[in-house]
Amino acid sequence: MTYQFDFASLLPYWREFAAGVWLTLQLSAVATVLGFVGGALCAIARADGPPWLKRVVGAYVEVIRNTPLLVQIFLVYFGIAVLGVRVDANVAAVLALVVNVVAYTCEIMRAGIESIHTAQVEAGECLGMNRRQIYWHVVLRPAIERVYPALVSQYVLLMLASSICSQISAEELTAVANRIQSDTFRSFETYIVVGLVYLALSFVVRWAFWGFGLLVFTRRRKLGTAL
Amino acid sequence: MKRRTFLAGGLAAASTLAMPALADTLDTIRSRKKLLVALDLGSPPFGMTDAAMQPTGSDVETARLLAAAWEMPLEIVQVTSPNRVPFLLTGKADMVIASFSVNEERQKVIDFSDPYGVIQAVIAGPKGREVKDYAAVVGKRLGTTRGSTNDKEATTRAQGAQMVRYDDDATLITAMVSGQVDMVATSPQVMNTANGRNPPVPFETKIVMRTFPYAIGIRKGEAKLQTALNEWVRKNLRNGQLNAIYKKYHGSDLPAEMLA
Repeated sequence: MTYQFDFASLLPYWREFAAGVWLTLQLSAVATVLGFVGGALCAIARADGPPWLKRVVGAYVEVIRNTPLLVQIFLVYFGIAVLGVRVDANVAAVLALVVNVVAYTCEIMRAGIESIHTAQVEAGECLGMNRRQIYWHVVLRPAIERVYPALVSQYVLLMLASSICSQISAEELTAVANRIQSDTFRSFETYIVVGLVYLALSFVVRWAFWGFGLLVFTRRRKLGTAL
Repeated sequence: MKRRTFLAGGLAAASTLAMPALADTLDTIRSRKKLLVALDLGSPPFGMTDAAMQPTGSDVETARLLAAAWEMPLEIVQVTSPNRVPFLLTGKADMVIASFSVNEERQKVIDFSDPYGVIQAVIAGPKGREVKDYAAVVGKRLGTTRGSTNDKEATTRAQGAQMVRYDDDATLITAMVSGQVDMVATSPQVMNTANGRNPPVPFETKIVMRTFPYAIGIRKGEAKLQTALNEWVRKNLRNGQLNAIYKKYHGSDLPAEMLA
């Protein structure tokens, strides 16, 4: 059987595609920022916190990294509703994505923190820096710079994973695609278009992170060498 | 859509060419003393298998009722939703009793008896809330299954409602039970399933958006069979037997105008 492609029938839906792309980007951006902050705090707690906190964070990381994101999303969305608080699907989606990505960021950041040699911390102490200064200048900033590529891939994955938020009625790109294909019966064309859009989004996100990296990691920009 | 029509049309043409002298189906059934009915056992609650792996469901019981009325054994020919028309046209079954909605596309290639049941697209809301017309839905969270007929009907009719679309019926049911939506645009079957799982307030049908009747499908040009089936459908709608089957599996009565 031959298949007649008909991409033109999708053209009238471009506004809906655009709205889907916009929501996907919003969900990913908010989850990335909150996920990074939360993940960094968890990593600090897991690397240098009191023993009980290390165990709590460790348990959290293990639970989240070993359960499917879809299950976490359902638990957040329906779990909160059962408790009597009704949240918007987009809020629940961001919350679930943050809970998920914090665990992954925590592990990536911990690797970065643990890669800093103790001798460097001691050097900071010799220079008379206080604890907070040492943590910021000697540990955290170089640690972030070292694991930056891993973080970027994690956040690109996050953007792609946001596609399953369609399950809980968040009208992001995949949800829009599901609706359009059931409207037009042009499922093959719809998913090809959406696949290409996700591909383009990945490149845009990567490019944005690359630019952000140049801006933030001045040492690398000036010397052109990795840490 | 065009492709499907073309295919169905092609099949119809092929079958008329292949079987020009096919005997009258009603006579064949009577002389064979066996009723071959195409049933879909993978679409609860119309057709399914019970815990003992025996066929059951509203369509199965309807077929049994018909076979009993005609005093002959029933032989189930298993079909799936997309191959109902081909099975009928190639003579693998005498008729199709498988929640077969009557629509124009299908009427081009096959005939239908009078409808014996309906699939409804309804707006359901919690008991006790007043919902008289679509205005009462404006601004409310109206849950539905994305891309379904219910979604399309509600999107055009309930303008101003805040549509909340889930990917499948199962998620919609969970949303109803956990109180994520105010109202839903769905089928009474889904609503009853949700009510069976103890939502905070049980749902009830508020507005019937559209009714899709379904009927027994037969090959074209079977006037005798069609008349016999129509008589049987009318009789059993009047005496309440078909309604009893419908109510047993779908949890609600057939529309009053069908029973009159």
